[in-house]
Amino acid sequence: MFMANLKNELFKLRRRKKYWVLLIIGCAISMASALRLLIANFITDGNVAAEAREVLLGGLMNSNLLFILLLFLPLMAVMAVSDLYVGEEADHTIRFALMRPVAKEKLFFSKALAVFLLCAFDLAVLYLVTTLTQVVLGGGTRGIGSSLGACLLDLVPLAVLILFFALVNQLVKGSSLAVLLCVVLYLGLLALGTYMPSIGGLVFVGYMRWHNLWIGTTLPFLAMLTRIGLLAGYGLVFACGGYLLFERKEA
Amino acid sequence: METILTLDHFSKVYRNGRGAKNITFSVERGEVVGLLGPNGSGKTTIMKAITGLTQPTDGLVEIFGAEVSTRREQALSKVGALIEQPALYESLSAWDHLSMAARYYPQVDKARMEHVLTLVGLAPYAKERCGKFSLGMKQRLGLALALLSEPELLVLDEPTNGLDIEATVEIREIIIALAKEKGVTFLVASHLASEIEKMCSKVLVLYEGETLAWETKEEALRLHPSLEDYFLDKVREKKGPVVL
Repeated sequence: MFMANLKNELFKLRRRKKYWVLLIIGCAISMASALRLLIANFITDGNVAAEAREVLLGGLMNSNLLFILLLFLPLMAVMAVSDLYVGEEADHTIRFALMRPVAKEKLFFSKALAVFLLCAFDLAVLYLVTTLTQVVLGGGTRGIGSSLGACLLDLVPLAVLILFFALVNQLVKGSSLAVLLCVVLYLGLLALGTYMPSIGGLVFVGYMRWHNLWIGTTLPFLAMLTRIGLLAGYGLVFACGGYLLFERKEA
Repeated sequence: METILTLDHFSKVYRNGRGAKNITFSVERGEVVGLLGPNGSGKTTIMKAITGLTQPTDGLVEIFGAEVSTRREQALSKVGALIEQPALYESLSAWDHLSMAARYYPQVDKARMEHVLTLVGLAPYAKERCGKFSLGMKQRLGLALALLSEPELLVLDEPTNGLDIEATVEIREIIIALAKEKGVTFLVASHLASEIEKMCSKVLVLYEGETLAWETKEEALRLHPSLEDYFLDKVREKKGPVVL
């Protein structure tokens, strides 16, 4: 029943045009960032020689990750979570699944997994488009492997963020309010981590660029373990809290 | 006879004091049971509890021996339901809805989906978006979704709501035929006594969340010309004589 519901949630997300439009916009921004680099270089140096292009565009995905991980995917996740949880509760369409022989925990977690898969799909598409742009515009293949690894690692904090949004969705009744609250809380936590670095390490959104922890040898093993434990703890709390509230809700 | 559905001292009281209180009845296989009562009498609350949409504040709801609140999957595996207005996604077609519902029931194939659409008269509109459907068409699709898995228990809340006379008669005939020919058990709620009288073999009369009567139709009609008179008589018994 979990798989049946997961397929249905993915089907519903796939049929909403806004997610496709948002993905196209994301791809366009990724491609535009490459063109912007080339144009800026042309204006300052007056040429975009092959060597210069390789330097400029090498590792394009790595430079685009900031936009993708901190803005694009969280926005996509906020919209999808609100559509599948509080949006369906508000228009009673959640009854479609609730009246079927599917346990509530399967319903709750299949929705979260569907949002995660949507975000993972978008990340994969953005990776492909950005990498192709890099290669086609003469940036070579530098950084392609490392950016792929970074994308895979960054799916971990994204999963925790989705569970956080799912929990927030259980606290409100309206879809618009849920989106607003998720965005405000997310940006607030991001700002907290940025402007108060002393507690930034304790805030889970501070790990959105999770791959940074794995690059180089700056962090000792125990410190890494602590951070993995912290993120896992957040994930567990959000998952349990979200499910408990979801289970008590009535349609 | 096999007991399909049991409500034992079931209560569900909302914050505003409304709901259903201390409801006890059971439904045997093949019966068509009617829940009769005015708006706000607790019919929908009972149906929501049976389909797991709401949790009882007290008492027990069991389907095929499985308690709905603790063994949802088992309890709802052979149940089809239409509660209030059908829960439909405006941007999806009738066929999309059936495809999604079919995923929960491995035995449902494309032929069955086509069959239920034809049965409720929606086959020509299978690919149309539900957002464009009239209330009656939505109700028909809700019924098709409830019938899709060939359930052994069908829980229908005001199934003819929004339907024209012809469609109302068709739906009624479907219910009667399924009960007689396939032994499907029905629990049908309506505020129209005539509707219940034409379909049901047993009737549970509800008023302000409480049970006023639980009898076979024959027994109810023994001393009353119609179920409507029976209902009014029971309400007068509870409220006492009207003082002018």
